[in-house]
Amino acid sequence: MTDFTEPRFDHPPRSIAQRLGAIAWPSFFAAGVSTMAFFAFVDPLALRDITRPGLELSRELGYTIGFFMFWLATASSSLFTWILLRPAARFNKPLPPER
Amino acid sequence: MARKIPVALLDQSGNTLYASERKIYPRDVSGRFQSLRHVAVVLLLGMYYAFPWLRWDGRQAVLFDLPARKFYIFGLNFWPQDFVFLAGLLIIAGMALFFFTTLAGRIWCGYACPQTVWTEVFLWMERWTEGDRGRRMKLDAGPWNRDKILRKGSKHVLWLVFALWTGFTFVGFFTPITQLAARSPLEWGGWEQFWVLFYALATWGNAGFLREQVCKYMCPYARFQSAMFDRNTLIIAYDPMRGEPRGPRKRGLGSVLERGRGLLDQALAYDYVFRAAHHPGAADAAMHARGGTAFAGPGLKAEPLASFQAQELGDCIDCTICVQVCPTGIDIRNGLQYECIACGACVDACDEVMDKMGYPRGLIRNSTQNAIDGKKTRIIRPRIVIYGLLLLALCIGWAWGVTHRSPMIAEVLRDRNALYQVVANGRVENSYTLKIINKTVEPKSYRIGVVAGSGIELVGGVQVVPAAAEEVLDVPLTLSAPASTRGIHAVRFDIEAIDASASKSVDSNFFGPTQ
Repeated sequence: MTDFTEPRFDHPPRSIAQRLGAIAWPSFFAAGVSTMAFFAFVDPLALRDITRPGLELSRELGYTIGFFMFWLATASSSLFTWILLRPAARFNKPLPPER
Repeated sequence: MARKIPVALLDQSGNTLYASERKIYPRDVSGRFQSLRHVAVVLLLGMYYAFPWLRWDGRQAVLFDLPARKFYIFGLNFWPQDFVFLAGLLIIAGMALFFFTTLAGRIWCGYACPQTVWTEVFLWMERWTEGDRGRRMKLDAGPWNRDKILRKGSKHVLWLVFALWTGFTFVGFFTPITQLAARSPLEWGGWEQFWVLFYALATWGNAGFLREQVCKYMCPYARFQSAMFDRNTLIIAYDPMRGEPRGPRKRGLGSVLERGRGLLDQALAYDYVFRAAHHPGAADAAMHARGGTAFAGPGLKAEPLASFQAQELGDCIDCTICVQVCPTGIDIRNGLQYECIACGACVDACDEVMDKMGYPRGLIRNSTQNAIDGKKTRIIRPRIVIYGLLLLALCIGWAWGVTHRSPMIAEVLRDRNALYQVVANGRVENSYTLKIINKTVEPKSYRIGVVAGSGIELVGGVQVVPAAAEEVLDVPLTLSAPASTRGIHAVRFDIEAIDASASKSVDSNFFGPTQ
């Protein structure tokens, strides 16, 4: 039987570099793969023509924008995962005293 | 013979890192907060299930017509070009959440969140079929006999029917629901079938099984809402100054005020709570209410409490009803916790117990930390004012923007195949496609004219084109200029509704030969 009366094991906070790395690196990797797969089928210039035909834009710029948009999405997801995996003790703090 | 005392070995220390999620059996409770929640459930779910059936101007009142890329919300219609207003609506919703969280705590969680609302309905159905907390626990622990199969089976039939109806309604927001009902279910398209079933499955899983785990492990709002809290925010709070030290007692002992014990000193009261949380009494331990982490700082060690004389006891009789009714299974006496969805079940339950004991209500109450600590609560404070003003400005801006939208959209696209043509008589011509969208629900006519220098004129002169309600027109236009025209010239197309309800000017260019 599990003893629910004891507070659960509470991992001490990890270093900022470890946290940042664990969010930025997997999302960077996923964004890179997604960018490659996406632009293997879609020409950024064709994408421009159906959205903002007037825009002066090179393929390289299209790829770059695409990569950073993918990274923004995957990094947000990684950040969300990190927030959800933080132990309850990080959130259950008494209200701050009044100034 | 005496009743057997339930004794079990606690896990050995090596095995405590993983604690499987115990099932929570919320006990039924009634009272002010539960009545409010019932009203919220009926209102919100009533809106969800009824809105697709309402009519407006001969169409479905609320319809998100994805194939046609048009959204209808009562008198308003939104085109893809109006996407910015939907984004604005989301920003307003976010700001409203901030404002109301700061002011009144997690009323969203307790009363309005779809997760809470549907879980509540699923709990009702569970109670009708399986009975209240004790009977449900017994049923789950018992063998699979006829009664258990019947009860569990009928629960799942109810749940499934309700979930399927929910999925059907969901799809009804995107496909006209009367047609959907007429075609159900054999003539539904593949995607309609998929979404009805998928949404039904999500409802069944979330409201029937995941329940409080969504709030505790999946919800981002639960994690960041405390950033908006201060000591003047409404929270569900236990009053330890009055309640501690907790403990069972013989009948007839008056409340702390009646017998003159009075309220404890704040530091002492919180110390009692801390120690009681780490050394729970038998009743608490049986409840499996997990020890609070709110004050479990590293290095803090909780000494067990000595037993108290009846006269020293506070008003909390340690009946653990507040834990039993909690849908997220926490012990509110351990203080504010991110798991608390502010549903108020513990308030209602404790009030009932206080009534039975003849004690004043409000040992657990919906109040502010300042009020619990005997200080003054301030409603007007900087963050309330800032959130409030921002919310007001956003609402006014949105309403103004929506009511002042142009009822017509006009865009001019140049012919991309040829910069210019030279026709038989030597004149230079450019071709354009004028796209006019009549966003209104009435037919309109538009007058198209051109303003340009250098003898550039619209072939055929000023034109009048009719557009049906909500029609997208593609009007081919040709501009003609004398043979001597060279280089780029700016031109302007003026589009005006005949009834003067809308007008727009679109700038473009006319190209002639370079030499």
